[in-house]
Amino acid sequence: MILLHRLRQVFDLLFHGDAVETELDAEVQAFYQTKVDRYMERGVPEQEARRLARMKFGHPENVKEEVRDSRTGAALASTMRTASYALRTMRKAPLFACVTILTLGVGIGANTTIFSVVSRFVLRHPPVGDAARLMALHTTQGGGQCCNNFSWPLYSELREQAKSFSGVTAYYDLLPASIDGSGEPERVWGQAVTANFFDVARLPMTVGRGFTQDEEHLPAVVLGHRLWQRRFGADPAIAGRSVRLSGRPYTVVGVAPSGFRGLDIILDAQFWVPLDNIDHLLPKTDNRTDRNYHWFAVVGHLASGVTQAQAAAELEVLGQRFAKAFPETVAAASRDTGFLMETAGSLPPRDRSAAMMFFAGLSAVALLVLCIACANVANLSLAQATGRRREMAVRLALGATRGHLLGQVLTESVLLSLAGGIFGVALSLWATNAPAAFRLAVPVPLDLSVSVNSAVLLYAFVLSVGAGILFGLAPAWSVARPVIVSALKGEDVLGRPDRAWSLRNLLVVSQISMSPVLLSATGLFLRSLGNASRIDIGFRSKGVLMMSVDPRLHGYSPERSVQLLTTVRQRIATLPGVISAACTDAVPLSGGHRSDGFEVQGRPAPSGNTSVDLYMASSGYFDTMGISRIAGRDFENETATSSRTAVVNELFVQRFFGNENPIGQRVRDGNRIYEIIGVVKNTKSRTLGEDLRPVLYRSLAQDIAADPSMSGYSLLVRFAGEPGALAKAVRAQIHALDPALAIFDSATMEEHLSDALFLPRLAGTLFGIFGLLGLSLAAVGLYGVISYWVSRRTREIGIRLAIGARIGEVQRLIIRQGMTLAVVALVPGLAAAWGLAKLFTSFLYGVPAHDAATFTLVPLFLGGVTFLACWIPSRRAAKVDPNTALRHE
Amino acid sequence: MAKPTDILPGTLDLLILRTLELGPLHGVGIADRIEQVTRGAFLIGPGSLFPALHRLTEKGWLDGEWTESETKRRVKVYTLTASGRAQLAKEKRNWKNVFTAMNRALAEEG
Repeated sequence: MILLHRLRQVFDLLFHGDAVETELDAEVQAFYQTKVDRYMERGVPEQEARRLARMKFGHPENVKEEVRDSRTGAALASTMRTASYALRTMRKAPLFACVTILTLGVGIGANTTIFSVVSRFVLRHPPVGDAARLMALHTTQGGGQCCNNFSWPLYSELREQAKSFSGVTAYYDLLPASIDGSGEPERVWGQAVTANFFDVARLPMTVGRGFTQDEEHLPAVVLGHRLWQRRFGADPAIAGRSVRLSGRPYTVVGVAPSGFRGLDIILDAQFWVPLDNIDHLLPKTDNRTDRNYHWFAVVGHLASGVTQAQAAAELEVLGQRFAKAFPETVAAASRDTGFLMETAGSLPPRDRSAAMMFFAGLSAVALLVLCIACANVANLSLAQATGRRREMAVRLALGATRGHLLGQVLTESVLLSLAGGIFGVALSLWATNAPAAFRLAVPVPLDLSVSVNSAVLLYAFVLSVGAGILFGLAPAWSVARPVIVSALKGEDVLGRPDRAWSLRNLLVVSQISMSPVLLSATGLFLRSLGNASRIDIGFRSKGVLMMSVDPRLHGYSPERSVQLLTTVRQRIATLPGVISAACTDAVPLSGGHRSDGFEVQGRPAPSGNTSVDLYMASSGYFDTMGISRIAGRDFENETATSSRTAVVNELFVQRFFGNENPIGQRVRDGNRIYEIIGVVKNTKSRTLGEDLRPVLYRSLAQDIAADPSMSGYSLLVRFAGEPGALAKAVRAQIHALDPALAIFDSATMEEHLSDALFLPRLAGTLFGIFGLLGLSLAAVGLYGVISYWVSRRTREIGIRLAIGARIGEVQRLIIRQGMTLAVVALVPGLAAAWGLAKLFTSFLYGVPAHDAATFTLVPLFLGGVTFLACWIPSRRAAKVDPNTALRHE
Repeated sequence: MAKPTDILPGTLDLLILRTLELGPLHGVGIADRIEQVTRGAFLIGPGSLFPALHRLTEKGWLDGEWTESETKRRVKVYTLTASGRAQLAKEKRNWKNVFTAMNRALAEEG
């Protein structure tokens, strides 16, 4: 009851403050009145009685203040008073408030955006029950070399023997299938999992259940939430229904919860089937239980009471035991001697350090932008504060403590900063939608979506308050310690003769010194983007349309697949506007498809790297892609039964044959032997940034049965004219042959290329934005300081002019002082930039970290900008009329 | 602002509660009564009286009500509540303990 009673009072205080005040006033007045009455009874005149009462009991206002301070919630109420005063102050200077909110908003927005990306890829767990105890396991080779999947026997042994896990599941992570349901025929990606997958993941299913132990061999399926909504109308009674995956009926047992896209961090799986169905959904699965083939990703759930360290220790022991027990037949590379364990949904260990480096670089840059923004705002509010020196001095003189003033200024800056934070969050809400528009040029489904979540909002809040305090400290410090006497006279409170302007100078210097770091990063990444888009890819991307199908998923045998592809190709070739058409199993610059070690028949294996990238091609492939032929001929009428032929690129010839003529020679990968019939120019194979790789093109017709592609086949069409209409026509041709075929990855080669530029484009865009932001903020800061200088020193300039200084000299004086600041700032800034540039090396395309052009242009450019920022205000100094100036103030 | 008298912290609360135990009073009345009873040893100024009254009211030990005084002025009259009475009993005990302890300590020294 008492608690309630108190809450009620605090509530009254906060929201009916006026009524509480009136009552207090009445009570205190009544007290004084009673005392006055008594004096008057003794015959003292009223005026004198009042004076005596005050002398004896102090001023009523002070009494009221004592009461206010003693109340519960007094601190809160006083904060609210301070805040409302701060709001009034802001309303009086709306421009300052706007600039501050915008500047900080941009800084905070940059940071929250980067943080939402980082939290998406570094901090997020898959949406499963007890995510913190779900561990992804990897095998390591040759003394900790990271990382590989598990072979089936190894997984079985681990599952049987490891005591640290309550359950261990294995899954094959990239399984394509065609699926029925409503809408256009579609290819979707799923995973083949051991029956305990959903139990280990502890997933609360939206509909139905996970798999039971005896379903491991049955055609059952769990649908992803989006797939269920998109193709099955979110049918709540879907459990028990049958759907067709790649032509075969599967019984739906459940629907996974929304947001669950598998246990990996970026793969985007949409259905799950029990493991043994892999034999139906994938070609060539005969070696999946072989100890030499590492098919499966493995995830385990820590048993209750077992710590990560204990589990890791057990895995180490098991690894040593397994290594001893391996049969002789196991290849050296598969003698796994260790395991690596980490929380499921972490970044893949192989790419982690690079990704972390990238994120760290981005975060650092975003923080720099925010620091510059803070310094800028601090400077602005210093100027603002000098405008308020009288107000502050008056309040001090009236008895406010310095603490009050400090609190007042900090409240104002934190409020502004919070408003900036709200603006910033709005910005990053907008910005986080942008990466969804970026697409990685890889043929597998990735989930790269980023969103603003509660962690991000918390981060934004902390950042806002931090920024508010940071930028508020400088003005708060100076405002709270004004020289009262000069302030009341309207003179400069901050103008202590001994350390004139040092605070402002410090701010500007720190601001300018940060900009070379930003700007050189910007320069490097823009150069890198420029380079990347000018990289010689080796084929002509303009005027090529691509479209993919996977006949295997629709029950086509290899022979019928070849037939289908050939017919489609012939029909497309007759379409108006089509110059040529061809088929391949993988479009270049898709991140890598297949490769194998090669040797020349009858010669010892060459030393060094023998890995060769493999592509299947139909006849007409090189003409369609615009890859020039150097020697020999193109594929013609190869059939599945004729002896294997191959076309190789120049680098292949160089690596395996030196200066010899390769035409007619035979090369082999394992047990397949190819006769070389032609040589073509080099092209980029996997990524834009790579060094050239040796490539072998083999005949699609000959190898499609022996080595079928997992991700389907692409039709390539060289055309003249408009791609939109042609794409429709090609689609119609495919569906005329088989209306059930799912068509995917439909794009022009130029779109594909721009997807391949994803990373350099992303880095270029981000750093471009950050760099320009930082630079403009710093330039505005310098400009502001110099302008302020000029206006403060009008009288001095007037005197100089009056005693005969020339205008040019005065202008030079101003510029010299500004540029001194700039140079003092630029030297450490450039040194830091030089040091930090090394961090970016691995993300740059054909640009050395210490790129001469960047490191020449950036200082010049910065010098120019700072000069401009000094020169513009210096002209105002030159226009000073000595007569007016001397009468000034 | 100078406080009229040095008063041990906490003692003022006890004095006010004790004063109101005898019947409801307004601010000036309370100050007068304390002055009278302590024979002028404690002069309670408004700067300590009113914060104390508000503090005690917040704790629920006092209840304030506006009425008309004998001199026809609107004044706030304070009454001791039930929980205030309980608190007073507690503080009296406390005070006796402290008082006895202090006396013993001082006697020993002397």
